Formats: sequence, C-alpha cells, structure tokens
Amino acid sequence: MKLNTGERWDLIDRISKETVTFGAYRHTLKDAIGELTVKPMTGIPVAIAVMYGFWSVFGSFAGFFTDGFFVRLFDAYWLPWLQEVFPGQGEWLYAIMVDTGGIESGEFVLSSNCLESFGVLTSGLFVAIGVVLPAIIIFYLMLALLEDIGYMPRLAVLLDTVLHRVGLHGYAIVPTILSLGCNVPGVTATRILETKKQRFIMMTLLAIFIPCGAQIGIMQDVVPDLMGWILLYLIIGYFVFGYILNKIVPGKAPEFLIDVPPYRRPLLSNIGKKVGGRVRGFFVVAIPFVLLGCAIVGVLYQLGVIQFLGDTLAPVFVGWFGVPKETAGPLIAAFLRKDLAVAQLSAITMTPYQMITAVVLVSIYFPCVATFAMMLKEGWKELIGSLAVLAVVVFTYGGLIHLIGILLGVA
Amino acid sequence: MKILLMGHPNVGKSVFFNRLTGANVTESNYPGTTVDYTKGWMKIEGGDVEIVDVPGTFSLDPKDRAEEVAVAMLHENRDAKVISVIDASKIERGLYLAMEIIEEGYPMVIALNMRDVAEDKNIVIDADRLERILGIPVVSTVAIAGEGIKELVSRLKEAKPVNVDDIIANAANASDTTGAADAGGAA
Amino acid sequence: MKKKLSEMDYNEQGTVTGIEKDLRKRVAGMGIRVGKELRMVTKQPIKGPVDVVVDEAETSLGLDMAGKIVVEVTK
Ligand SMILES: Nc1nc2c(ncn2[C@@H]2O[C@H](COP(=O)(O)OP(=O)(O)O)[C@@H](O)[C@H]2O)c(=O)[nH]1
Ligand SMILES: [Mg+2]
Repeated sequence: MKLNTGERWDLIDRISKETVTFGAYRHTLKDAIGELTVKPMTGIPVAIAVMYGFWSVFGSFAGFFTDGFFVRLFDAYWLPWLQEVFPGQGEWLYAIMVDTGGIESGEFVLSSNCLESFGVLTSGLFVAIGVVLPAIIIFYLMLALLEDIGYMPRLAVLLDTVLHRVGLHGYAIVPTILSLGCNVPGVTATRILETKKQRFIMMTLLAIFIPCGAQIGIMQDVVPDLMGWILLYLIIGYFVFGYILNKIVPGKAPEFLIDVPPYRRPLLSNIGKKVGGRVRGFFVVAIPFVLLGCAIVGVLYQLGVIQFLGDTLAPVFVGWFGVPKETAGPLIAAFLRKDLAVAQLSAITMTPYQMITAVVLVSIYFPCVATFAMMLKEGWKELIGSLAVLAVVVFTYGGLIHLIGILLGVA
Repeated sequence: MKILLMGHPNVGKSVFFNRLTGANVTESNYPGTTVDYTKGWMKIEGGDVEIVDVPGTFSLDPKDRAEEVAVAMLHENRDAKVISVIDASKIERGLYLAMEIIEEGYPMVIALNMRDVAEDKNIVIDADRLERILGIPVVSTVAIAGEGIKELVSRLKEAKPVNVDDIIANAANASDTTGAADAGGAA
Repeated sequence: MKKKLSEMDYNEQGTVTGIEKDLRKRVAGMGIRVGKELRMVTKQPIKGPVDVVVDEAETSLGLDMAGKIVVEVTK
C-alpha cells in the first residue's frame, strides 16, 4: 500500500512522537558561522575573499613550482640533453619529437626553451608536467577543501540571484567551478540541474567560456599580465550569452531548492584520496592528448598543412579577428589540448591585444576532444545545438573583441 | 544478492560504502559529486554481495537528473535489499524517504547514522522502539568511526518487506502503551 | 498573523499552515510540511532565494516557491 504525502507525514509524526525526544538545542559557533556566511551583508564579502584567496594561492603555488623548478629543469637540463642525444638533427622526426628549431640568417638553429621547441618530448612533456601538473594539484586540493568543509552550497545560495538571470540557478556554480579544473567532470555535473533547458545552457556555457585548470595554468605562466583581460572577456561572455540563451532556448528554468548542510571538519584522508583520484583521472586523459596533440601539430607543420590553412583562412584571422594568421596552428592543436595551444601561441610574435584576442579565441572556439566526447555521451542533439551556438559565439564575440580593440585604439 | 545504499545527500552513504567494501572511492560533503554511482563487493557469511552507493536523493519524486538516476536504480533492482542511511539529527525527513521505499515493498535495514551529531544536538532516539514499530532492523551508527557497522551487516539477513498497515497499527499500539504508562505514572 | 514565507522578516519563526499543492511533494523531502515550525534565516537581495531552518536543517528555496508557502508567524 502507498500513502500520499500528507498521510506519510502523519505517520512519521506519530512514529517520531513515540521514539524521538528533542532536547533544548544550543546554538554553536559553527551554526553562527554558517549563518554569517549565507547572509548577504556578511556572506558576499566572505565569498569574495574566499575566491580571491583561492586565486592567489593557485597563482603563487603554481608559479612557485613551474618557474622555480620545472622551467630550470626543462630548459637548462632536459632540452639541451635531448637536443644533444636525439639522432638526426634537422630531420622530420627530430623536429616532431625534440625541436622544430628555426632558421636564422640561413642557418638552422636550436630553440633555447621548451615553449619554442614544439617537440613532443620537450614542449609536450614540459606543458604536461612542468605547468599543468602543479596547477591541477593545487586547484583540486583547494576545491576538495571547500567541498568537504561544506562551503559550496553557501556559495550557491549567494550566487543564485545572478545565475537565475541566465536561466540557471545557484547550483550551477558546482559544474562551473568543477570545469575550472577540467571540463569533463563539469559536463557530468550538469546533471544536478533540473531541466533539459538548464542542462543545455550550462553545458554550452561551460564548453565555450570556462577555461580548464590546465589552460589557466599555462596562461599564468606565459601571459600573466594579460590574465585580467582574458578572464574578464570570458566572464562577460558567460553572462551575456547565458542571458541570450535563456531568452531563446525553449523550456523551463525552475528555481532552486537545496539543502544547506552544516560545516564539517574535513577528513584529511578523504581529501588526500579525492585529490589523488582526480589528479590521476585528469592525467590519464591529459598526458596522452598533450603528447598526441604535439605530434599531430608537428606532423601537420612538416606537411605544410598549417601554413596552407593559415594562408587560406588569413582573411578571417587577420581581417575579422585581428590576429596573425600563424594562430591557425595553435587553433588546430586547441582541439586536442588547449594548454598546448596557449603554449604555442606564446611563441608567435604579436601585440598584447592580439594575444588577448587569440587566447580568448582558443578558449571559446571549440571544446577539447575529451569534453567533446563527454558532451556526446550526454546527448548528440544537445551537442549539435551547443556547437551551433559555439559557431555563432566565436564569430560574433571574436569580431566584437577585435572591434573593441579598434575602438580603444589598441588593436 | 545486491544491496543498495540509499539516503539523502551528505548522510554518510559513501563512508559506509568505503567501510563495507574497502574500495578506493571518494567521499565528499557536498551534493552533486556522487552523480556517477559506485559499485563494490563485500563478503557476507562467505557469499559475495554487490553493494551500490546510490546517488543521494531527497524523495522518490526526482527533482533533477541525479535524483532520477537514484530512483531508476531502485526500480531497476526489484530484488535488492536497501540500507537506508538516515542522518539521525534530521530523522523525520530521513524517515520520509525510508517510508517511500518501504511502501514500494523493498526489504530494508535502517542505519541511524551520525549518532554523535544527534547527541550533540540533544536528540535522543529510541532505536529499539523504532525497530518494533517499523518491523525492520534499526541500528545506530557513527560511520566515520566505524561504530555499528558490524551490527548493521549482521542484521542484513533480517531485512524483509513490511506492510504499511502493520506500521500504522504498531504506531497506534505504541502510543496506547505510552498513554497507559503515563496514566499509570500519574496514578 | 499569517504571512507568506517570502514576506517573512529575518529571524521570524512560525508554523507552516499551507503549501500550494504542486509544491507539496517537492519540499517534502526537505522536511518542509504543514504543521512544521520554521525560522526564516535570510533572503538574498534582488529577488534571491530564501533560507529557512526546519528541525535544525537549513534549506534554501527560490522566492517564487517561498511565495507558495503560508506561515502563521509566532515570533
Ligand atoms: N560526525 C559524523 N560525520 C559523518 C558520519 N558519517 C559520515 N560523516 C561525514 O559526513 C559527510 C558526508 O558523508 P558522505 O559519505 O560523503 O555522504 P553521502 O553524500 O551520503 O555519500 C562526510 O564529511 C563524512 O565524513 C558520522 O557518523 N558522524
Ligand atoms: Mg556519496
């Protein structure tokens, strides 16, 4: 026999009366902090402080290991050693695996650092291990702390108002932040949203506007001064296009209803396990793709495909987006790995504003292959829809950023 | 045999799961992480038993995709036993979900988890009495400390489907006896 | 005095006297039901969600939903 909602509660009331005694409840410090961090007057400043702290720790930790250790290791020891021992200098295999090198006054010269060499074993390994690994570890460590303490639901409550305007609700912060680590689990986490419409908007915004931890890590390393601009363009895009999508995508965008659990002391063993698992999961996907991406772009360079694409698409790149045509190469690599693409961009000479535009383009232009596969798993119709939105966004937003640059007199 | 760990988000299902299976899966304190469910195996009295860490849900009327997964998993496993994990400090809403599952005819044991938290909040639960009213095993536990888990496992075999009418009758009887006891005390 | 949950003031307490039918099942899992005591903890500005505590469990719900719950305010 089944009861209806009212009958069930009546029964539970009766059972509870017989078996449970509620003593006087004393409010604890934890409850007080819980309330302070959710009330807007105090909660919003705390949220800003938490986000700022997150960002600072992320930047300094990743910078400390990358610049302080890996750059030296790779540029001073690994690269020269490989350049020395790898056979066939100047031949195609050498170019793909170790160093493409350059031509200076008619002579072949070796690259001086791992960002310019473009080789699978040099740039590829350096990006994966030297830059992305520290960034990902610190990111997941801090995220696990925020999660296990129980801060995320409170952040969701505070952000609900703005996120509701783009057809989502506060809970959308969970897939959004997860995507800042890696878009793949971010796409999976869209399931906590109620309707198809919400999941579609979320997935599309993630795939387009949220750079992953690997990409942020490399951006911090190669274009630290431009980070503010790049992130600003991405955040504005997230909200502007979210707002538009909310207006045009049919369906419902229900309000949110969530449980706000009490703060808890995180278990160290649990944090360790969680960070370990996520970092491992990330690397199983990342390393092969970084190396493969490096190899494919290397081969395409050797075959002249990239030069051909660059020349063919030059009107679009130069005329519409205002970036050098050489960015065609990194944009192809971006499909495999965005971190790699940013690293390759950094080796192309261009103005700071062109760099901003190019990095934003790399971010928004196509989800990486792993994210693509994940979105396909969630539904091919949605994937096609997202890609259609993406095409429109890349053209309008890319052009708009160029236009803003022209108006500001910096492009 | 298959056992489903079910309950609200954040009640300790994953801690139970890890303790029961010893598997390397992650636990977390915020809803939305355990969307992909985890499966594991444990030995009970020599036999292999499959255990599933079902995503948290507040009721059997799913409000999002993650909850849909939870409900679908319950319905796909008509012959499974359910360990209903309840946060003892929020027992009423926990019982709401447990009742919904009982009403669908699943054999169940209840883990009244977070006994430590309930104690801190001065909430006292008469587990024996709850057990008599519901007609299924009710075990107090503190999952993070491993307390009560052995007993929970040993009592799994007592899980059986119960009729809601019996529970209603038991609840009525129980209140009669308290009424009588109170009257006796007053006399 | 009866008030909608969406109109309650900070820290006001009361007993739920009515929930619109289409919402009853949705909030049931959170322990919100007719006859229950609740306390309004806070609401977010610009039509943001409302936070309530029921049985020491905190729930946050959208303003429109809160408008469908009627509370007899006691203090
Ligand atoms: N104090 C206390 N905390 C617990 C207990 N069981 C689990 N927890 C904590 O509650 C949180 C949620 O547990 P988890 O297993 O992830 O919940 P799930 O969402 O049901 O899988 C974690 O931080 C656990 O460490 C318990 O018995 N007492
Ligand atoms: Mg879990």
